[in-house]
Formats: sequence, C-alpha cells, structure tokens
Amino acid sequence: MKVISTKELVKVYQSKLFSKDGITALDNFTFDVEQGEIFGLLGPNGAGKTTLIKILLGIVLKTSGDARVFESEVSNVAYKKKVGYLPENHRFPNYLTGEQVIRYFGKLSGIEGTKVDSKIDTLLEMVKMKEWRNVKIKKYSKGMMQRIGIAQALVNNPELIFLDEPTDGVDPIGRKEIRDLLLNLKSEGKTIFLNSHLLSEVELICDKVAILNKGKLLKTGSVDELTSTGNTFRFFTSELNDKVINYLLTGFKAVLHGNSEFTYNSSNDEDLNKVIDYLRQQNVLIRSFYQEKSSLESMFINLIGQEKEAVN
Amino acid sequence: MIQFAAIVTGIFREAIAKKIFLGFMVISTLIILAFVFIVNLDSVDGMIAMFGASGDTAVKDMVIGFQILVLNFSYLLIITFCLISVSSFIPSMVEKGNIDVLLSKPISRGAIIIGKFTGGVLLIFVSLLYLIGFVWLILSVKTGYWHIPFLYSVFWLTFSFAAIYSLLIFIGLVTQSSVVSMITGFILAFVVTPVLAVRSELFSFISNDAVRFVIDFFYYILPKPGAIADISAKILEGKEVTSYEPLITTALFTIAMLTISISYFRRRDY
Ligand SMILES: Nc1ncnc2c1ncn2[C@@H]1O[C@H](COP(=O)(O)OP(=O)(O)OP(=O)(O)O)[C@@H](O)[C@H]1O
Ligand SMILES: [Mg+2]
Repeated sequence: MKVISTKELVKVYQSKLFSKDGITALDNFTFDVEQGEIFGLLGPNGAGKTTLIKILLGIVLKTSGDARVFESEVSNVAYKKKVGYLPENHRFPNYLTGEQVIRYFGKLSGIEGTKVDSKIDTLLEMVKMKEWRNVKIKKYSKGMMQRIGIAQALVNNPELIFLDEPTDGVDPIGRKEIRDLLLNLKSEGKTIFLNSHLLSEVELICDKVAILNKGKLLKTGSVDELTSTGNTFRFFTSELNDKVINYLLTGFKAVLHGNSEFTYNSSNDEDLNKVIDYLRQQNVLIRSFYQEKSSLESMFINLIGQEKEAVN
Repeated sequence: MIQFAAIVTGIFREAIAKKIFLGFMVISTLIILAFVFIVNLDSVDGMIAMFGASGDTAVKDMVIGFQILVLNFSYLLIITFCLISVSSFIPSMVEKGNIDVLLSKPISRGAIIIGKFTGGVLLIFVSLLYLIGFVWLILSVKTGYWHIPFLYSVFWLTFSFAAIYSLLIFIGLVTQSSVVSMITGFILAFVVTPVLAVRSELFSFISNDAVRFVIDFFYYILPKPGAIADISAKILEGKEVTSYEPLITTALFTIAMLTISISYFRRRDY
C-alpha cells in the first residue's frame, strides 16, 4: 500500500506579498513511499526536504500538484491521527517538563489523558529519559531535547513517522539507540520517513532513498541500487611483474592501483573468469577480489557535483 | 474534542507558567483585602448605622457606589493586565519549531484559533469571577444587601476583553510580535476608543463631512469597551439602558476579527 504519494508537486514560496516571483522549493516532485519502508530523503541544504515533509503534514500549503498521505488529501486533518512528526529545530513550550510535553502533544493527537499516562513510562524508557521526566525542558541539553522530541512523535502509536534530522545533536551511542529504535518500529510494520545529512547512517537503516537537489528529484531507489557502481571488481594479488601489468592494461583495460592491486570493469561473468584464468596462468596469487560499491556519501557528492557542473 | 480541550487548558498552563495568572491573583487579593479592611472601619459601621436609621435605600446606594468603583477599577485592571498577558499567546504559538508540531496534529487551524480565543476568555472570566465575586461577597455580608447585578459585570467585562483579545489574535498572527500586539491593544483601548466615545463633542470642531464620516465609520466598526462599562454601570444602578448598540457592534467586531484571523491563519505557510 502506498502510504505517501505525490504527483507533480510544486511549492513556490512567495518572497513578498502579492509578488509573482519567489523561491521554488519543490519542482514537479513525484514519488511514493510504500508501507513498512524506512525511506530516506537526502539533499544539500535548502534542497526542499523540510518543505516536502511540511507539505505532507499540512504545515506548508502546496502551490500545485497532488500530495496524499494514507490516500487522504493533505488538506484534511483526520489522517494526522496516524502520523508522528519530529520537526527540525523544534522548540516545545519551555515551561513544560519532559513528561508534560509528551502528555500535551498526546492530547493534541487526540488521545485521552489516561491513555497517554499509561504510555509515558514506556516512551521515556524507550528514549532513555526517565530520570529527566520531571525537569523543565529549558534545562535540557540538545540531545535530550531531541530524545523527548522523538518520544513525543511516537505518543499516538503512529503508523507513519516523519523525522527531520532525528540524530541532530545526539551522541554516538544515542544515535545507535535511535537507529535500533527505528529498526524496531519498522519491524512492527511502521513506515518511517527520514531526512538526514548523515549518509553513513542512512546507509545503515534505509530501505529506499531519494535524492533531492534544488527541489528536483535526482535519483531514487534502494541503497544497493544507488551505491552499486556497475561491474567494477577490485583485485588484490601478489606482486605483478611488468609483463602481466602490460597485458592487464592493454588486454583487459584494467586500472592499476600500485603493483598488487587493480580494478577491472567486466560486462559479464565470462570476462571476469578470463581475467582470473590469465592471472592463474601467470602464477599470480589472487589474495581477494570483490565487486566494488561506492559509499552513499561518494555517490551523493558525485551526483550533486555533476549537477553543479551541468548548471555552469 | 480532546485536542480542543488541550489547547484551552494549554492557555491556562501558559498563563500560570508565565506568572501572569499569579500576578492577577495577587493584585485581586490585595484589592479584596483592602476591601475587607475598608468595610471593617468604624466609620463604615457608623455610616451603615446612620443610613440604616434613615432608610434602606441609603445603604443600597452606598453599596452600589462601592460596586461602581470596583467595576471601573477592574475595567482598567483587566484591560491593562490582559494586554500585557494575552498579547504573547499567539506570537509564542506561531514561533518556528513550536507551530510545526501543533499543525501536524489532527486539529484544524480554525479550531486552534477558536481554542486559543476560548482559553483566553475563560482565563479572564475566572480571574474576574474571583475579584468581583469576593468583593460582592464581602459587601453583601457586611451590609446584608445582596445586589446580584454586580455579578453580571463579570460577563460585561469579559465581553469587552473578548473584543480586544480578538484583535490581538489577528495582530499576533500577522506581526508575530507580542510587543506590537500589546501596543496596538493599548492604543485601541486607551486612545482610539475613548476619543471615538466623545465623537459628538469632537463634531462641534469638525465641519468637514468626509472627516465626520470617517470618524463615524471607525466608531461603528471598532469595539467599545468604555461604552460597555457604562452600560454595566447603568444596569448596576438600575437605570434604564438607552442603547445596546455598543454591545452589538462590539460583538460583530469580535466575530469579524476571529473570521479574518482564521482565514489568514489557514493561508499561511509555517
Ligand atoms: N517559510 C519559508 N519562506 C520562504 N522560503 C522558504 C521557507 N521555508 C523554506 N524556504 C526556502 O525553500 C528552500 C527549501 O528549504 P527547506 O527548508 O525545505 O530545505 P532543506 O532541504 O530542509 O534544507 P536543510 O538541509 O538545510 O534543512 C530554501 O531555499 C529555503 O530558503
Ligand atoms: Mg531541513
């Protein structure tokens, strides 16, 4: 089932009242998110990631196109009962304690006070904030605020959770805990929509990723699809002599990295085996070889770099 | 409806947290204590004894005199106090990072505004009930004259407040600034409406029809807390109220302001 779907979604922020021109934050954006996925939205600063989440939650109004959550138009409010949201740089009323924040937003999600109370313990435990429950949040550190924010986003037991930079300001152990929490939620069948700049993290947990730049969707697919570089294989061998090196360079168009390592681009398994046969024939010891993947980060940097060049 | 109730009670919590409620209660309590002190003075006892001898009506007049005093004073207190306190409700709500979560909840933008309005009005109602209720009780117990119409003032004063608050909501939404909201409220309550209230006197200096029309126009569209205070004083004294027009125009103003606020709020990106 499609939990989120947009079609030719456009958002232009009006720079001045009554003026025609403005900032195009989303440009014909079309995508879907399936139920049970952890979906990561990546993009440089100002790409339009937050804008997209805000449109899906009715915080920002779309300029044109179609945006649906649980098949409901985002102008309705009822679907929000099944949604949780952690905004970036949130600022909850600072005179409340952590516990009161959860209770207040729980009630705003339409949950009765008594039901919220029975959930508070579990939620605080989940984000490891039990000792801080009765402290006013103005005394919290950044990471603590983030943890309370996450607890708040889960108070209504949502089926879809939007998290805008959830690990911002959280220490490495906390980040791991949050990742585990998200995987746990996924195993319960919940859908998670994540905005993040920490690509190594996205790589670890996201099933699907979309890359956004200047409001346009550049690429979308699973992490594996996006990071695979085709059929490049990297070989580690015993020291290669000049004759072998020459043949690898001319005959197989390999790329040398020192004299015991090279990469080879093969279009099929047959060719790959030819390389192996040749090396064995020449008494070269193959220590290891693997199919190369680029990290999400290097893929991202390449992609955004190419976009920049295309503009210039 | 749980969401709506959360917004309304949220206002009380905010007022308590910002010590606004406390401040109001302290001032009210001081007034009440001062009253206890005054009515316990020998001179008051003497007056009651004296008037009592010369007839019931004199005691009643004295009670009503006191009550009008309190009414006028609460009017000033309420307006000043409210402007300071409620002018921050909306600007703090639309602060970045706070409004985002609020709007992501299953409650419509219209209901949020109505909730904030209801919360503020209830807050002032409760505060007034405390002040006026106690003063009434003390006077009644002391004199034996239980003058119920004094209690109605709670409604009149709350009504005046509601009108000004509705304007503050709109200004708070547009400017997102509590200072601007507060200043606008003060100008409206202490400059514009008093001046407009004496417009017939002004007209003797102004012969230009266009200017008169503009003044009239503003008189009719703006709320008239002063005139409402006069009406409640008349009701208190048992005098006949000649015109309810200030009540009607003020009610219309409030409804118009809320409608404009909601439609503005619904169109904005946050
Ligand atoms: N309320 C607003 N009014 C006008 N322009 C806005 C508003 N919010 C965002 N923008 C503009 O829209 C564009 C996209 O912003 P958005 O916040 O969606 O980016 P983002 O991808 O979330 O960036 P970041 O990674 O820095 O959080 C930016 O150019 C920004 O200046
Ligand atoms: Mg953002």
